[in-house]
Parts: sequence; structure tokens; C-alpha cells
Amino acid sequence: MNKPSTLRRILTTDLPVLVIVFFAMAPFAWMILTSLTPTAVLNATGVSISPSGWSFDNYVRLIEQTSFLKNMLDSLIIAVGTVLVGLLVSVTGAYAFSRFRFAGRKAIMLQFLLINMFPIVLLILPLFVLFRKLNILDTHFALILANATAAIPFAVWMLTSYVGAIPKSLDEAAMTDGCSRLTALRRVVLPLMMPGIISTGIYIFITAWNEYLYALTLGGRNVRPVTVAIQTLIGEYQIEWGLLAAGAVVGALPATLLFLLVQRRLIGGLTQGAVKG
Amino acid sequence: MKLFRKLTLAVATAASLVFSPARAAETVRFWYHFDNPANPMSDLVAKFEKANPDIKIEAENVPWNSYYDNLYTALVGGNAPDAAMVKLFAQPRLAEMGALEPLGERIDAWPGKADLLDNLLELNKGADGQQYYLPIQYVVLYLYYRTDLFEAAGLKPPTTCEDFREAAIKLTKAPDTYGFGLRGGKGGWDQWGAFVFSKGAELKPGGLTTPQAVAANQWLIDLFQKDKVIPPSAPNDGFQEIIAAFKTGKTAMTIHHIGSSKDLVAALGDKVSAVPVPKCGGKQWTSYGDESLAIFSSSSVKDAAWKWISFLAEGENNVAFNTATGQMTVTKSGAANWKLHERRFVDATVQSLPFAHVLPQSSGTSEFVNTAWQTAMQQALTGQITSQQMMEQLNTLFAQ
Amino acid sequence: MSTIVSTPDVHKAKPFWQNQHFMPYWLLAPAVLVTAVIVFLPMVQAVFTSFYDLVLFKPNASRFVGFGNYIKLFNDPVFWTALWNTVIWIGLTVPLQMGLGLLTALLLNREFPWRGLARALVIIPWALPSVVIALMWRWIYDPNTGVLNDILLYLHVLQTAVPWLADPSVALYAIIATLTWQGFPFFAVMILAGLQGIPKSQYEAASIDGASAWRQFVHITLPGIGPVLATAGLLRVIWVANSMDVIFVMTGGGPGYATHTLPLYAFIKARQNLDFGYGTTIAVTFTLFLGAIVAVYLARTLREVER
Repeated sequence: MNKPSTLRRILTTDLPVLVIVFFAMAPFAWMILTSLTPTAVLNATGVSISPSGWSFDNYVRLIEQTSFLKNMLDSLIIAVGTVLVGLLVSVTGAYAFSRFRFAGRKAIMLQFLLINMFPIVLLILPLFVLFRKLNILDTHFALILANATAAIPFAVWMLTSYVGAIPKSLDEAAMTDGCSRLTALRRVVLPLMMPGIISTGIYIFITAWNEYLYALTLGGRNVRPVTVAIQTLIGEYQIEWGLLAAGAVVGALPATLLFLLVQRRLIGGLTQGAVKG
Repeated sequence: MKLFRKLTLAVATAASLVFSPARAAETVRFWYHFDNPANPMSDLVAKFEKANPDIKIEAENVPWNSYYDNLYTALVGGNAPDAAMVKLFAQPRLAEMGALEPLGERIDAWPGKADLLDNLLELNKGADGQQYYLPIQYVVLYLYYRTDLFEAAGLKPPTTCEDFREAAIKLTKAPDTYGFGLRGGKGGWDQWGAFVFSKGAELKPGGLTTPQAVAANQWLIDLFQKDKVIPPSAPNDGFQEIIAAFKTGKTAMTIHHIGSSKDLVAALGDKVSAVPVPKCGGKQWTSYGDESLAIFSSSSVKDAAWKWISFLAEGENNVAFNTATGQMTVTKSGAANWKLHERRFVDATVQSLPFAHVLPQSSGTSEFVNTAWQTAMQQALTGQITSQQMMEQLNTLFAQ
Repeated sequence: MSTIVSTPDVHKAKPFWQNQHFMPYWLLAPAVLVTAVIVFLPMVQAVFTSFYDLVLFKPNASRFVGFGNYIKLFNDPVFWTALWNTVIWIGLTVPLQMGLGLLTALLLNREFPWRGLARALVIIPWALPSVVIALMWRWIYDPNTGVLNDILLYLHVLQTAVPWLADPSVALYAIIATLTWQGFPFFAVMILAGLQGIPKSQYEAASIDGASAWRQFVHITLPGIGPVLATAGLLRVIWVANSMDVIFVMTGGGPGYATHTLPLYAFIKARQNLDFGYGTTIAVTFTLFLGAIVAVYLARTLREVER
């Protein structure tokens, strides 16, 4: 197969991608413009389109007047904690589901699905009472636990389908070479399921980062993630659009940067492993 | 099951619950919601803690749109704050839960009582005659209008419903300008009240289904459906939308309170002014928008909590508080020298006070305010139900 | 290469793993334990609550009513409206997200210079908090000050401004469009990861055989990502069905009941009106319906997932 010419690549790939990126970005670009327009101008004449009217006023206020950086840190601790706990538990779970056939397997898989079908709103109150009794309200641990629980079922299911795509012959071969189950999991299966782990990790990270209801109810004064902080900018009679937009832009950065960093690891995986194997 | 029993138990015995182990310094947990992100509360806290070194204030800014959800969850879950900012519509529910601490004796013994504006304590009284709420700020709804558009059309600000309709029709040049910005979404009942409660509708059994009440409601719906002097977006318009539409000149009149005057003046300058809401059917009715402070019966530091909330309702502290929220002070000393808002808006507010009302305190009112009015009004505006059906639907809330 | 693709027998006994019978259980124990305590038990309690008339601000008036709440629910016209809205909501949002996500993933899997950047930018809608998205789109849709009408009027697609969220016949679809925008990156990322599992050799072999791009897509790509697509689709159905925060901020369920979905109705009843008995009844009924749909879905596609 000969390489497609650059022009053809631009027409069939670059342009359509550009359209999709535009579709994804356009409302966000508006948000960036809003965040760059000082609040006084925003209230009087609306969003400033020309760069001459821009300033970082909203960002400065966001950092100076609100505790946004501390909120970011809270969110980061919770999101990273949730990813670690969630992945640790789900990778082993997914491995069990895809490599073993055991009594109760289907029932457990279905139970995982079932618990995600029930609207969270009605779980909040019992959970609040439970966490109060455990005395972990308003701690990072409480939110990591709650978020991880919400993410684990999905993560296990996603990972099971990724592990399922990895031929069993590979880890079986490793085991006949004398590796134990867990060594085979770590040395052979884990590297191969990297794209799945990365994408599931991103999923968990974003879910935990954007979670609001748990954060509001189970968090509080000491632990206050970005989503709650952003909500306080939406007042009864006033929305601080400038600060809100700045908060949203800054708040979306970690997930975007994280993805920029790890997206390379999405490639490789099986194709790479197969060559080695 | 166990939990279920615990839930009910937690409420019943809320008074006996103790949350945090007593420390050398007493800690008062306080919930509030603020539109001002700069959060000037920390200055007030610092001032209070300096004067009362043995009391520590943990003030928590809770997002407004989940404020009451969250408060009820905390109350039922047994982790309520000691004191909080609360509105009148929540009082019946909180009282029914047994969550409120009566404040009557403390208020009577408090030197600041004489400085409170007349009548405010009366308005704030619970349904059982007890005083649970300490007023902290207030607003009254009035009519904002565009002076330039009125002048261009040769109109005077309306004083009656008939004038109002006529002016709205003359000012409407669809789709560029509409006469009146109606809030058909959440919280719009207070605008609606100016046109419907004034004509005799009442929130009591049968009070909404009288022919006059249904006709008054029909009159307002007709402004939208027949006269088309209200933007088509009205059914989903909330506060943000009506203010934005008014600012951009999309609407020539709207009903709101002094809290938005700063923003409007920034956008429109002298082209905006205000008068009391028009007289409809010979009577005026406008909504008294309140904010009070309450202490919860579950608190173990009630004396410290009282020190803190009464501190916020005193002269200059209350002025500082209202400077942050953009509303009106509840103290006479503060009101005497009020510079926060342009005179014309303060005048419109003060002129509206004589006919400003609060809704009757029943649990039906909470549901009316929170969800029911909005749903019924939207259905009526979009022609899914008639005025009669809407009023009957709302009447069921007050049937018992 | 071909040995990698063909799956060996599932039930191959390996006698030298003594702990083989217990291993899956202790591998799963943490996940099961934590989900059981945090979600499953409260859920079981909720089922009990639904048999009670429990209004949180009337703690002393609560009483056992058996199936009373369920009878009330099935006679409640709002329930049926909300159910139908939920069906449209899931039925449109998930396929739209999946279609757009698939297209995006296929494009982002090609080689082009700014691929890394494009991949990162595309996930932005997914990385924004729901409340911000909802407010942003509420603003975009605003007929008086919003940009959407301005653009469409300018392009002469529309003659008059449309009150997108205030018109009961349009509002639900306007929110579905927003949710499609928010959720398609999820599918793009998941499918992108799934695409990496297809050995390049298969495409090479197919090219040599002269298969067209479309045939390659149908016969290699789709089967290759089948399990991921089936799982992601299933999980998304559940997630979308339950997500109500965007609806709540954009319309609050209105105008009227035009954008009420069942979880939103449960939320409004339980958290705003504090009617926990009835709210839980809605939630339990909804879970049963969703469970039935998922069961049908699983029966049809489990083989795909298990492949």
C-alpha cells in the first residue's frame, strides 16, 4: 500500500478532525473569551471579542479572592486517590472476571451493573448517616471512597472487555514458563492492557473530578472540591460569569493536560506486545 | 430498616444530639450563601472573634442552588450547623421538623431589638406565634422600567394594571423589544403575585380557584399568548435571563428588587428607573423578600451561636453584611445613612413596603415556591393547560 | 500472528494452580466489599423505604403503606410523561454520542501531525463540570441574548428566534444535543483504546486481498471493537439514564413536565419536596425498568462482550 499524499491526508483527516475539534471547542472558546473579559465590561457590554479588551483580571481575582487553588488541590487529591483506589480494585477484578470461570461470576457482574442503575440522589442520605457514624465526613478519604465506589462497577466492566481482548495464550505461556498467576498478570497482561487502563483511568479521573452531589454533601468546609467552589459563584441573584468562566477554564485544565500526557500510551498495547510475544 | 428507624429517630431526638466534643473554645458552625464571591464574611468573622476570643466561627459558604437540599440532609442526617441563613418559606418545614430554636426571649433581652426596622419581627413570626427568625436583610419587589423607551413612546410609568398592559403593548416591537420581561421559570411566583394576589387570589383552600383569581391569571397568560408583549422565552426564563434581557434592551419593563440595581445601572446608567408595582383590581401586592438567621435546636453551643447571629444584625455589622449582599439593612441606624444604592431605587423600595407581603406559612407554600408554581405556570403559558386547570392544580397543595 | 487472534479453549484445566478456585474471589473481594457496603446496602434500605409514607419534615407521620406508593405512582400522569421522556432521552442520546464518538475515534486513530493535541482538545467537553456545561448551553440557547439564534438567523436557517428551552416540543431535544456534545468524547476515548487491540496485520492482509476501506471497517474494525462498543454502550445507557444535573440546571424539568425524566422526578420529589417515600418509589421503579432493558441488551450482546 502506498502512502497517501499529504493533500489527500488533509482532506480526509485533518479537515474532518478540525471540524470535530471546532464542534468540541466552540462553546469552550466562548468560555475562554468570557473569562478574559473583565467583569465590569461583561456586565455592561458583554463578551469582548477583540484582544484589546482582554485582561487576566478574572483569573487574578479567582486566585486572590477565592480559595480556588486550595479547592483545586482538594479535587486533585480526591481524583488521584479515586483513580489509584479504583484502578487497583478494578484491574484485579477485571482480571478475575475475564480469566476465571467461577460460581457466582455472572451474579457479581450483574450486581455491579445494578448498583449503578439506582439514582444516586436517594443514596446520599443513608451514606451521609453512615459516614457520620464512621466519623469521616468532610475528609478526602470519604470522597475517595464514595467516588471510587461509583466508578468501580463501570471500570470493572470496561477493563473486563479490554482484558478479554488479550489472548489467554499469552499469560498461559508465561505461566508454563514458571511465572505465578500474579506475576503473569503484572508482567504480561498489565502492559498489554495499558490502553484500557489509561482510558479507564481517564474515565475515573474525570468522573471524580466532576462529581458534585457527593462533594457537596459529604465534603464541607475542610474539603471543598472545585465543583462545589464553582457552584458558590452561582448566586441567588447573580452569576459571576467572569469568575465562573475562569474557574471552568482552570478547572478543565488538569484533565486535558493529563490526557495530553498519557494519550501516547493509548497506542502500543496489543500491537506492540504482539510483536514482542 | 434499621436506618429508616434511625432517620425518624434522628429528627425526633435531634435536640439531644451532640456532634463535636466540647473544646476549650466554643465553635459555632454557620452556613450561609452569598452572591458576592469576594466573600467579605471573613472580615466579619475576624471582627467577631476578636471581640469574643473564646468563640470560634466556622462559616461555610454553601452553593445557593443546593442550599436547602443540603440543609435538610444535614438536619436529618444529624450533622446540622449550629446556625444558618434561612428564608421564610422554609420556616414551616423547619418548624415541623422541630429543628428550630425559639429566639423570642433572647431577642427581647437583646439591646439591638430597638434598632430593628418596625414590623420586621412581626413579618418573621412563626405560624405558632413564636419567634424563630432574626431578620438580617430584606428586599421588596418593584417595577424596573426603561426611562428612555418610555419617553420615546410618550408614556408615563404605569400605576394600574390597565396602564401597564397599554404601555407594554405600545413598547413592544417584536422581535427586537418586548414590553415586559416575565419570569416564567423557577422563582417567578413573586412577579406573578403582583398581578394575581392583588386581584384577590389567596394561598388557602379554594383561594386560588375563585373566578377573580382565575381571571387574573388568565389576564397575565393573555399578555404572553394574545398580546405577545412578553418574550417567547418566558416559560424557561429565570432571574439571569430577565435581567440580561432587560439590560440588552430586549424588554422595557421587568419586576425585580434592589439587589440587581447596581448591575442595571452599570449597564444602562440613567436609562433605568423604578416605581412600585402597578395597582391591579384596586389593590397592590408585592413580595417581601427576606433573609433571616436561625439557630437549630440540635446545637450544643446556642449561647455562642446567638452571640454570633445577633452580632450580624447589629448596626454597622449589618450594614457591612448588606454591602456585600447588595440588599437592604434591617437596622434603623443603618438605613438612616444608606448610600449603597441610588436614591430612586431606595425610594421605590420604601414606597412598596406598605403593601409588601409574605406568603402564608404552610408546608404547601414550600412546594408552591419550590416546584409547583413553576411547573403549572409553564404548562399554562405554553397552552398545555388552561388558567382554570392551573389554579385547580395549585389549589390541591392547599386543599388540606 | 494468527495464533494470537484465535481464542483458545476457555475451560482448560490447569491442575498446578492449587488456589485457582479461590483466586477469583479474593481478587474480587475488595471491589465487592466496598460496593456492597457503600451502595448495595443503602439500596436495599431504599427498597424498604418505598413501602413507607415518609416525608422528611413530618417525621412522626410516617407509616407503612405497602404497595400504596406504587399504586399512586402508576396512577400519576407525570410518571408516564417522565417515563416516555426517559425513553426518548436514552434512545437518542446514547446512539448519537456513540456515532459521533466512533467517527472521532476513527479519525483520531489516523496519522497526522497534530494528533496528540487534537486528542487532548476533543475531550474538553467531557472534562468540564456538568453545571458549567448546563449554564453555558443555557446561555447559548437563550433566545434574547444567546449566540445560537444569532448565528442561525444570520445564516438564514431560521426566520425568527426560537425559544429553544421554553418551547415544550423542542426543549428535550435541545438538552439531548447538549448531552451529546458533553458525552461523545467518552466514546471517542474508549473506542480509541479499543482500536489499539486490532492487529495491523489484519488490515495489511485485507489490503492485499483488495478489500475496500468500507469492507475493512465492517469486517475488521467493527468486530475488533465490538466488545468495547457493546460494553461502553451499555455503561453509557445506564449513565445517561441517571444523569439529571444538566437537565436540572437547564430547565429544572420544565416547561411544565416537558423535560422530566424519571431520575429527575425522583430528585425533585425526594430532595426538593422531601417526600422520600414517593421519591424512592420512583427510583426503585426506574431501576427495575432500566434493569429490564439492560437484561434484554445483555441477553443479545453478552456473547459479544464475552468474546
